[in-house]
Amino acid sequence: MVENKELIRVVEETVSRDDVKYVIGFKRSTYGFQIKPAFAYSAKDAKEFFYSPLCAKNLATYPLLEEKLPLRRGEEAELKKIGIVVKGCDSRAIIQIIQEKGLEREDVVLIGIPCKGVIDPKKIAKRFPKQSKFVDVEENNNDEYVLEIGGTSHKIPKDELLSDVCKSCEYPNPPLYDILIGEAEEEFQPEHFNRVDELEEKTIEERWEYWEKHFQNCIRCYACREACPLCYCKTCMADLLDPQWVRRSVNLSENTAWNVMRAFHLAGRCISCGECERACPVNIPLMELNKFIEKEVKEMFDYTAGLDTEEKPFLGSFRPDDPEDFIS
Amino acid sequence: MEQLTLPKEKLPELLGEIGSKFELIGPKEENGFLAFRKINDPKEVNLEILLSRVPPKSLIFQQTETLFTYAKGKDSKVQSPKIDESVRVIFGIRPCDARGYDIIDPVFMGKKESDYIDPFYTKKRNRSILIGLSCNEPDTNCFCTSFDDSPANTKHVDILFTDIGDTFFVEVVTEKGEDLIKNLSKIFSKATEKESTIRKEREKTAIEVISRKMNTEGTVEKLNKMFDHEFWIEAARSCIGCGICTYLCPTCHCFDMQDESTLKLGGRVRVWDSCMYEEYTHHASGHNPRPSRMNRVRNRVYHKFNYFPKNDGIFGCTGCGRCIDYCPVNIDIIEVIDKVKEVNV
Repeated sequence: MVENKELIRVVEETVSRDDVKYVIGFKRSTYGFQIKPAFAYSAKDAKEFFYSPLCAKNLATYPLLEEKLPLRRGEEAELKKIGIVVKGCDSRAIIQIIQEKGLEREDVVLIGIPCKGVIDPKKIAKRFPKQSKFVDVEENNNDEYVLEIGGTSHKIPKDELLSDVCKSCEYPNPPLYDILIGEAEEEFQPEHFNRVDELEEKTIEERWEYWEKHFQNCIRCYACREACPLCYCKTCMADLLDPQWVRRSVNLSENTAWNVMRAFHLAGRCISCGECERACPVNIPLMELNKFIEKEVKEMFDYTAGLDTEEKPFLGSFRPDDPEDFIS
Repeated sequence: MEQLTLPKEKLPELLGEIGSKFELIGPKEENGFLAFRKINDPKEVNLEILLSRVPPKSLIFQQTETLFTYAKGKDSKVQSPKIDESVRVIFGIRPCDARGYDIIDPVFMGKKESDYIDPFYTKKRNRSILIGLSCNEPDTNCFCTSFDDSPANTKHVDILFTDIGDTFFVEVVTEKGEDLIKNLSKIFSKATEKESTIRKEREKTAIEVISRKMNTEGTVEKLNKMFDHEFWIEAARSCIGCGICTYLCPTCHCFDMQDESTLKLGGRVRVWDSCMYEEYTHHASGHNPRPSRMNRVRNRVYHKFNYFPKNDGIFGCTGCGRCIDYCPVNIDIIEVIDKVKEVNV
């Protein structure tokens, strides 16, 4: 359980530090079960921070979105840190970015949150549609989510609303943090790669039909890319014109190229926060692609992304004793 | 305006007949959301879900439009695609989405005679007959009433259907609509006074359901004064720069043109573009006049709530609520406009 009072106190303390520019966390949004990113520049901004199982968003995207405008003569770059509220997967995203030298460890102050899994916003909105006011949700000790709508209290079994991606999560606690709020959670017993296993049982034709059905709906808004904390290339190859790897025409062929390319570029890097899938406006099950590659990487190279800042990135490492056996 | 009724159980018959005579497009559920697709079987039509995920603007202002194709080498030639001009019926379009067409028509079809008229948009627009469907149960983020619109507005469609229980109340608005009805077998009945009253009541109830309101009064003038205000830095702080708000918007109409070719064949395509992308204003020189998210978010708000009203006398927003519903970081345009009001300048 994360005590909001404690969270606010820690955020206040962090943002008051001389070496911290601002702290990013969650606040309640304008309707339904929606949360939005909150930015605290001073202790008084921390009051609106909160945490609940609704806080699915991975905020690790933000430090890399900081626009570094060209410095004027005599101006010095601001070297202050950014504070971020991180769950297990969010913390792993930061670790992965540090590994890749996208960020320095000193750039961030991590306020860790032991996570019990987050609610899938689509599932809860379907269950309780048309909520024009913000509704908060708590988790009790009985594996149930508790919420109150119009004076009526509802108890929903956790499994019904939990994000699919959380069901296969092995790292509920942030592997890297500066301050931890509350007690570390017990490790889960994840159902490993559940959706991938189901998909692998299908024939290749069935699988192609499945992906075709989804990819043809892609509108190439690139929300999957922008929401992903690890898609932070300065120029994405999808935006390149010369050579143009992916055409701008929106059709099955180009959409497939984009979606496959996106997944490949996350090989050994994806930390399974599920942000791409949550952001997708046309319900493409992107995590199935990511999880499939994660599984391959695990089985062939025994590598897990985002656990240790000192470790080499997957594609930058070579281990003669990895479990893959096709060479020997 | 002719007022008719159609028993609900006769709808498949009607759609079947339309489908046999013309191309029929309608709302269909696919992968858990609604999309406007070609309807082959009337059973596919879904009237339960309120809005399609991608607005039906995509039927007329297509996401990918081939402007011409060419072949290289000895037999080189440039070919313009033939644009289908046969009648097409778009069934089940919601009044706000139909209004979206009215808002972007001047962009592609010109405001005065000397303006360029885009043949692709114009021909698709002219061939389409819109059969609208009133929203009896508007959703959480619907706010069409903030723009003097109504969930049962007849103004933007050729024919409007309103669910009044066991029957649809059918209003034939335009000549195009009349012609279509004339072409169909006589399955409509004349509406009675009572039915007309029920229809009006339904509209009233629907308007009452709409709880969100955007206060647009004075927005244009206020925005005139706050272009350089630091407010925009904060307003854009959480924006991640994806294209959802613009691609799902019924009035966003920016596009890019690209030549796409293989060794021998090629074509020029027009594709949707979004002002929320860094690349959108990136000049060949390397300079970008909208270098940060603040510039881009500000541009979206200004285009809809300042430039549009100044140029066309209308807000570039229909109040459909999609940008609020699907923004991955919950930037709420109603809240943004509310906050604009609070800014001291």
